[in-house]
Amino acid sequence: MSKKRKISSSLGLLPMYLFTLVFVLGPLIFMIALSFFEQDGWSYRAVFTLDNYKNALTGTYLEILFSSLRLAVISTAAVIILGYPFGLCTAFLPKRMQKFIMTTQMIPYWVNSLLRLYGWIIIFRANGLLDKLLMWLGITEEPLRLLYTYPAVVVGMIYVLIPFMFASVYQVAERLDTSLIEAARDLGASPIRAFLSVTLPLTLPGLKTGIIHTFIPSMGLFFIADILGGNKIVLTGSLINDLLNKAHDQPQAAALASVMMVLTAAICILLLRRAKYER
Amino acid sequence: MKDKMTPKSRRKARPLAIYPLIMTLVTYLPIFVVAVYSFNESKLSSIWGGFSLKWYEELFYDDAIFEALLNSVFLASASSIIAAIIATSAALSIEKARLPLKGAVEKLSLMPLIIPEIILGMVLLAFFTLLGLPFGMLTLLIAHTTFCVPYIYNQVKARLSVMDKFAIEAARDLGASRMQAFFTVTLPMLAPAIVSGMFLSFAMSFDDVIISVFVTGVRVNTLPIIVYTSLKTGVTPKINALCTLMLAVTVLCYIIAGAIKGKKNTSAALKE
Amino acid sequence: MKNQLKRIVCLLLCLVMATSALMLSGCKKKNGEVLNLYTWAGMFPDEVIREFEKETGITVNYVNFDSDETMLQKLQAAGGGEYDLIIADDYIIEVAIAEGLVQKLDKSKIPSLGNVNPIYQGQFFDPTDEYTVPYGAGVQTIVYNPAKVDIEINGYEDLWNYDLEDRLGIIDNYRVMMGMSLKTFGFSYNTTDAEELMEAGAHLMELAPMIRLIKNDNLQDDLLSGEIDAAIMYTSQVTMAKMADPSLEVVFPEEGIGFGIMAMFVPSEAPNSEAAHKFIEFILQPERSAKCFEYLGYYCTNSAAEQYISEEYRSFLTLPAELKREDMEMIQNVDSVTDESHLKYWTAFKNFCD
Repeated sequence: MSKKRKISSSLGLLPMYLFTLVFVLGPLIFMIALSFFEQDGWSYRAVFTLDNYKNALTGTYLEILFSSLRLAVISTAAVIILGYPFGLCTAFLPKRMQKFIMTTQMIPYWVNSLLRLYGWIIIFRANGLLDKLLMWLGITEEPLRLLYTYPAVVVGMIYVLIPFMFASVYQVAERLDTSLIEAARDLGASPIRAFLSVTLPLTLPGLKTGIIHTFIPSMGLFFIADILGGNKIVLTGSLINDLLNKAHDQPQAAALASVMMVLTAAICILLLRRAKYER
Repeated sequence: MKDKMTPKSRRKARPLAIYPLIMTLVTYLPIFVVAVYSFNESKLSSIWGGFSLKWYEELFYDDAIFEALLNSVFLASASSIIAAIIATSAALSIEKARLPLKGAVEKLSLMPLIIPEIILGMVLLAFFTLLGLPFGMLTLLIAHTTFCVPYIYNQVKARLSVMDKFAIEAARDLGASRMQAFFTVTLPMLAPAIVSGMFLSFAMSFDDVIISVFVTGVRVNTLPIIVYTSLKTGVTPKINALCTLMLAVTVLCYIIAGAIKGKKNTSAALKE
Repeated sequence: MKNQLKRIVCLLLCLVMATSALMLSGCKKKNGEVLNLYTWAGMFPDEVIREFEKETGITVNYVNFDSDETMLQKLQAAGGGEYDLIIADDYIIEVAIAEGLVQKLDKSKIPSLGNVNPIYQGQFFDPTDEYTVPYGAGVQTIVYNPAKVDIEINGYEDLWNYDLEDRLGIIDNYRVMMGMSLKTFGFSYNTTDAEELMEAGAHLMELAPMIRLIKNDNLQDDLLSGEIDAAIMYTSQVTMAKMADPSLEVVFPEEGIGFGIMAMFVPSEAPNSEAAHKFIEFILQPERSAKCFEYLGYYCTNSAAEQYISEEYRSFLTLPAELKREDMEMIQNVDSVTDESHLKYWTAFKNFCD
């Protein structure tokens, strides 16, 4: 390899290298520095303090961090249960059907996500569409109070996150060699046995990427809890929002943000590393 | 591509199709509701006041929404193009480049994927203020490029790892210059990855509210910001109407693209 | 393959060029004089803005913020420039003035300043009325649906009642809601006494079972659709709710009234302060002002305009005569330690609601 080639390669990497240093590393360092500063009225003072972290890791703010984790875990679990079979079933359909479902999953991306959630409000509200349907069917007598409840929030989370799980599982399952499953069945394995010993292990990498792509955003999607949960479920994201926009406490917000980032990064590394070993 | 289904498994596929179809229906349920209410005469979503096209008429005369739509289209295409250039050239040269700590910087460039949006927005706002950049399209562009780069980089990198490197060498052996080899062999092979990465980042940028709210300036509103503020101050069916139109256009594009592709395939088949 | 790529690249380039061309042409339209008006969405009826543009030839660039704090951040980042006229809440204006981001008004350019109702002038955020002109005021009141609520509600304390379990909607503002709890003990909204705050925080926790919804905007929609049966609301929401359903009951809490004023001000480095003054003068014209307040739904701060407000709106848009000045208190800025504990109690309360 010639020296010239190496220089031109370095030049090719340079734009991203510089961009990352200035606009990713710069802000991150600034945020971490900020989290050790003191709040000063409507601004901050560059005085070292650990109070922000002490606040973030005790009492109310810690509870909020746990309730964010809880919602993220519940939503991710629900997305696995609903989304994994979705991706898997689709991969076993005729090519034309696969294409149809892929395309129909892509299209909603072009409709504003907030507005799609707003559709759920119309469905869930008292005397809304769902209530009317259930009462018409004679299943319920009175309007249910579905909007502004925890289940409503979970439905919203699942709705927003399921395409990620679907795509990751489908991508792996589509390349699956179906003859392996058929061989297992021919050798006398029950459908459940065939699934557990062949299909599941082979699609596990897709499931893992799916979990990562679901779990990380679910830690940050606080506006779903605001819109569908009536603001009663406080998440770290909304707390950061309150700190920034109402209490104008940038250092405290930065500390909470740092804690949250370390947490998500740790969970991702854990999942990725295990995925690597198993391969 | 060949259908890997055997006739035996094709028969089994039918019950399998039920679940994906139900999921697809559920996906479209809230969108359908939003679209229906765009024809609602009443402003309140709890009341059905009869069929009306008046919100479409109002939308047509709303300059602010139209301008925001243009801003959003410009921002999403510009940031995904810039990100595509940065990410592709980086993915192509990362192995051979000699820059200090390039591995760490590579990991760092993927960070925007795991940083929750509100944090990225806040950090960029504080940082841009520190740098004294004027808030507006420039800051929006930088912020959006920041989170577009990793999407495209990941796609291109994955494609490169399975790409046939001998094709490039063969082209070079046959006397193609480096530029020629790049444009005739490498780039076409990477194109699907670049394009799908760009689509993804276009969609992400086109839908982003939280980061945009933080880094936008006086004169620049994007479409999601308008939707967000009107959602807070009471959604007018005008916004429903706009989204219904956008959905219709998207579906139309997909149908046209599908038709063109179908035609090409049949003509190719005929040639064979 | 190669052709396909070329086509895609061409298509993308065309798209970018087309949009930028459209954007440029869009900008050209606004080459003339511009007024950058920065406030919440829905502060003026469209026709009033159009009338101003027609009369003066100045194009109004209406930019929205969703919270006072966002506005201040943006104004700080712009160094008091970029915006020509801002309308925001009282407490944030105090901060903006203290930071030198507001310029003194040239009163010779606003001859109609005398139309302003003096009740709303000389307040804490601008004691000498040098910087601001009030535009709308409001109080927080309790509104409930008497067909569904059987208990008698006269004040805040009556909301601590299990008959209202999971039926109450409140404002998503910790100063207002902590303030409510403080008021039930007779404390001030602006207390800095840690013990008083703790007492109020603990009392607020006991309200949690009653809460169904915490939200700033469009609370009236949820009251009208039956999602909640009682709510604490801002004046503009009360106006909208009462207009839609006159049977709703409005209560001015006996413990005291929280009171706020919105005001217009010109930033220190406003690029077109001339146009800003013109706009203020334009809005102060009584008939036009009446139209604005009917649209806005807040208390009319223009005494000359009151007679032009139509009958159906009048009772909603003027302060009830029986309200005494000493029963009302404005929420003011407090030190950061107090503010922080307000937020902590509030966050704990919200977390306890579910």
